[in-house]
Order: sequence, then structure tokens, then C-alpha cells
Amino acid sequence: MTTGSTLARTVRAEWLRLWSVRSTWVLVTLLALFVAGLGAVAGWDAAGGGGFDAPSRTAWEDARFTMLFLLFGLVALACVATAADYGTGGIVPTLQWTPRRGVLLAARAVVVVGAAVLVAAVLLTVAAALVAVQVPGLAMPPGAGASTLGDAALVVGSGALLGVGLGFLTRSTAGSLVTAVGLLVVLPLVLGNLPYASLKAVAEHLPGAGAIFVVFGQGMSEDMTLASARVTLLAWGVGAVTLGGLRLLRSDAGR
Amino acid sequence: MISVRGLTKDFGPVRAVDDLTFDVGAGSVTGFLGPNGAGKSTTMRMLLGLDRPTAGTATVGGRDYREHPAPLREVGALLDAGAVHPGRTGRTHLRIAARSNGIPIARVEEVVERVGLGAASRRRIAGYSLGMRQRLGIATALLGDPPVLVFDEPVNGLDLEGVRWIRSLFRECAEEGRTVFVSSHLMSEVQLVADRVVIIGRGRLVADAEVGEIVGSRGSRVLVRSPDVDRLAAALAGEAEVRRRGPGEVEVVGLPEARVGDAAHAAGVAVHHLATVEESLEAAYWSLTEDAVEFRGGHERAGEAS
Ligand SMILES: Nc1ncnc2c1ncn2[C@@H]1O[C@H](COP(=O)(O)OP(=O)(O)OP(=O)(O)O)[C@@H](O)[C@H]1O
Ligand SMILES: [Mg+2]
Repeated sequence: MTTGSTLARTVRAEWLRLWSVRSTWVLVTLLALFVAGLGAVAGWDAAGGGGFDAPSRTAWEDARFTMLFLLFGLVALACVATAADYGTGGIVPTLQWTPRRGVLLAARAVVVVGAAVLVAAVLLTVAAALVAVQVPGLAMPPGAGASTLGDAALVVGSGALLGVGLGFLTRSTAGSLVTAVGLLVVLPLVLGNLPYASLKAVAEHLPGAGAIFVVFGQGMSEDMTLASARVTLLAWGVGAVTLGGLRLLRSDAGR
Repeated sequence: MISVRGLTKDFGPVRAVDDLTFDVGAGSVTGFLGPNGAGKSTTMRMLLGLDRPTAGTATVGGRDYREHPAPLREVGALLDAGAVHPGRTGRTHLRIAARSNGIPIARVEEVVERVGLGAASRRRIAGYSLGMRQRLGIATALLGDPPVLVFDEPVNGLDLEGVRWIRSLFRECAEEGRTVFVSSHLMSEVQLVADRVVIIGRGRLVADAEVGEIVGSRGSRVLVRSPDVDRLAAALAGEAEVRRRGPGEVEVVGLPEARVGDAAHAAGVAVHHLATVEESLEAAYWSLTEDAVEFRGGHERAGEAS
């Protein structure tokens, strides 16, 4: 049997593993309610705001900011989904069933990133629709939709990859969540606002700064570009999953 | 069939498994015995590709566990029944295992019935008793209908009925030609169910033999009570070893009870009691592992690991 078919089976198993625990459903439900609420408020705000300065504006743009909340929620989902195996000891049977650890890593990354991107796309579309129904002038053109959803896929996908990597690296739900919040929110904010150029430069290269730039099209400094922000985000995701994968591959299961 | 060659595992300065070599054959139940910390679980974890050996190899069916494309169809194993996500139902746990190894979902129903989990399989594992978790673990081990079964302390937490059930399950599996490898603390349990035993102490092989051989390894012993043990000892000198057990009591090693009785009669020694000592695996085990116990009441770590 080839690696491909082993991977396909493992992906199917991991999909069921992800969606068969309450924490996944609770997180996604809360996130859905929150993002729908944000979309409704944004639409209400836009409807009351009157005059449209930019005639090319679409409902997608008004809903774009929800990406940031989708990012936070879905990174948390990725951390929990990956680290739970260590908290419960379930990593032992998991690796008994899939002893090829590279296959397990790939399958989990594919499933968690795939699920996160799917959830983000659906919820962002819902948020945009909630804007569109309240503001007659704002439409949802497919072209703008594709580029908005593409950005969301990049932001949330990289974030989910970061979460999976941190889960395997820290082997702890709390540890991975704290690290993720640090990298996405606390460190970029703190370092970016200190009066030292070198620390600001560090802050620009944190995933939180990259995400903000991709979402809002502007960042904390003139040095950042859309391309550099995208690379920063992806590099953190790939880097974390590489480090987490090394720990998974090299050390004894659950020790 | 399981084959262990020169298997060694160090945890930092601690050598948990030390140059182990043994085979476990098909069609029989092999007990894996050793005191706490002897290295049983670590050996099993290396066999299942969970821990990386420091040296040596452990193979199943001639291959490294990780090389089996669908390992659950080759080896069913239960190491720690508590190591499962409590939020899933037993059935979902089994379905994930089945999917991961390309096993038809219908097998889930079969093993759930076979281990007697029944309707409980639709409940969350969080509500399971220790015995139910053990049954779920055994169901997972049987899922792929594997030729090799590995269990670490499977009777833990089972009630009497459960212990009898698992005993007959092991026998059935062995009779079906499977390789059954079971670790345990309970010598009496192993004596009841195992054909062979592998005994380890402080990570090293102590014995690898048929249960009968081990039990008989100390030779037949006959306990004699007599008011004149000195004359009896003199009469048996050269023929057998005579050990003093107390005032008026000796143990004769290496002669059947009839010969001991005849010798006493010939020497004109009165005998008040004469009987062969029933050897248990437990007693044989104790004498074999005496030097190999890591933790013993009073003095920890007799001797030093090398
Ligand atoms: N992760 C670890 N780090 C350090 N030492 C370990 C680790 N795991 C096991 N050991 C040591 O390895 C030795 C063997 O442990 P193991 O669990 O294999 O024994 P065991 O025979 O299964 O014991 P028990 O009957 O208590 O289950 C022990 O001395 C133990 O302290
Ligand atoms: Mg053990």
C-alpha cells in the first residue's frame, strides 16, 4: 500500500476525530454566533451611515474585519484539536493506529487547516450577506468575494497551521493557546508600541502583525508590504508545524 | 510472531530495558512477568513503535511495526485503557480506529458485541467504569482481526466475571492460532492462562520457558517432619540435598516422596509428616527474580544497574 492511500485513510480518521468532540462544535458555534453578530452590527452601522464615499465598495469589504476574529477562534480550535491527544493520553492509541508519524502530521494539518478555512469561508460569507441585506447599495460581487475569501484562507489557514504546530510542540492545550495569543496579539502590540526601532522590527515579523496587514491593507510601519505580510504569516505557520513535527518524529510518544 | 533482539532502552542514566532477546510464538499465550519497573511496558511500547529503542530491534511478523501498512490488521494492542479521549463515545473511538486502518465499519458492531460493551458503546467514554474502558481497549485490539495480540496488564480493573472472560478470550485467541503476549503482575493469573512465560527483572531477561519448566526448575521438594532429622539427613546424604527448615523439619530436594519415605523406613527414623511441596509459579518467580527486584520493602535498588 502506498503512502498516498495511508494518508487518505488517516485524513478520513482525523476528520472524524476533529468533529466527534464537543469542544469543536462549541467553538465553531460560538464563533458563528459572534461573527454573525458582527456582520449584523456592521450592516446596521453602514445602513445608518448614509452617503457612500466610494461607489466601488462592496459588502465583502465591510465584513472583512471579521477575519481577525475568525483567525483567533480558529487558531484556538487548531491548538485544542492537536493538543487534546496529549492531555488525554490518546496520542498512544493514535500512534498505534498510525505509526508513521509524518503521515499523522500531514493528515492532521490537512484536516485542521481544511476545516478552519471552510468554517472561515462560510462565516465570512454569512457576515457579508448580513451586511448586504441591510444596505441596499452594497452588493456581493463574486470577484471581490473570491479575493476576500482568498485572503481569509491565507490568514486563517496559516493561523491553523500555527496552531497545529504549537499543539505538537507544546503538547499542552494551555501552553499552545498562551503561545498563540502571545504571537498573534500580545507581542505585536507590546513590542510595536515600544520606542525602540529594533523591537518594532521584530514586532513586524510576528504573525499577528502579518495578519493585521493582510486584513486591513495597512500595518504598523511603512516597511511592511502586502507581500511581506503574507510571507510572514505563512512562514510562521510552516515554521511552527515543522518544529512541532520534529518533536513528534523524534521523541517517544507522549513522553 | 514477535521477535525481540538485543532490545535496549535508556531513559537518561536509567537503563529501563537491557539487551533483551526473546521470541513469542503463535498459537499460545505467553505471559510477560516482572516486578514493578522491570521494563515490561517499555518493551511493549518499543514493540509498537511508540518508543525508539536505544539499541536492538523488536519486530512483529518479521517487520518493524511501523512498516505495516495497516498495523491494526497485524497487531492488536492494549497498553493503557485510560488513554482515550473521554468526550467521544466508545463507538466513535472504534470508528476512528477502523477508518485509520481501512477496516470495514461493520467490524465495529462485531467487536462491540464480542467484548460485551453493547449499548454502552453509544455513551460517552467519560461515563465508563474502569472495566468498561478495559473492554473498549480490548475491542480496539480485536478490531483488525490481527494474528498478534499484545496486552499490558489487561485484568486491571476487571471484576471476577471479567477476569474469567478475558482468560477464556486469550485461550480462544491462542487456539485460533494467534500470538498472545500478556504482561501481568499476577503470577497466579499467568499460571492459569499462559503456556509460556518470559520473565524480566531490572530490564534483563531472567527466564524464557514453558510454565511447567519454570515451576519444576527448582527440582521436586519433599517436606519431612521427624523427631530425628539428623539421622534422616545422614541416611540421605549423597543421594539428595537436605535443607533444615526449622526444629524437626527438613526439605529434601531432588528425590520423589516414595524414595524419601523408604530411606526413612530403612534407617528406622520415625516420620510424622511427609509431602511433596506444591510448587507455584509465584514461588518460582520469587526465587528467580530475587536479585532482580528494583524496589523491595526496606531497601530500594538492591545492587546497581550496569
Ligand atoms: N519516561 C520515562 N523517563 C524516565 N524513566 C522512565 C520513563 N518511563 C519508564 N521509565 C523507567 O523505566 C523503567 C521501566 O518502566 P516500565 O514502565 O517499563 O516498567 P513495568 O515493568 O511496566 O512496570 P509496572 O509493572 O509498574 O507497570 C522504570 O525504572 C521506570 O522508572
Ligand atoms: Mg507497566
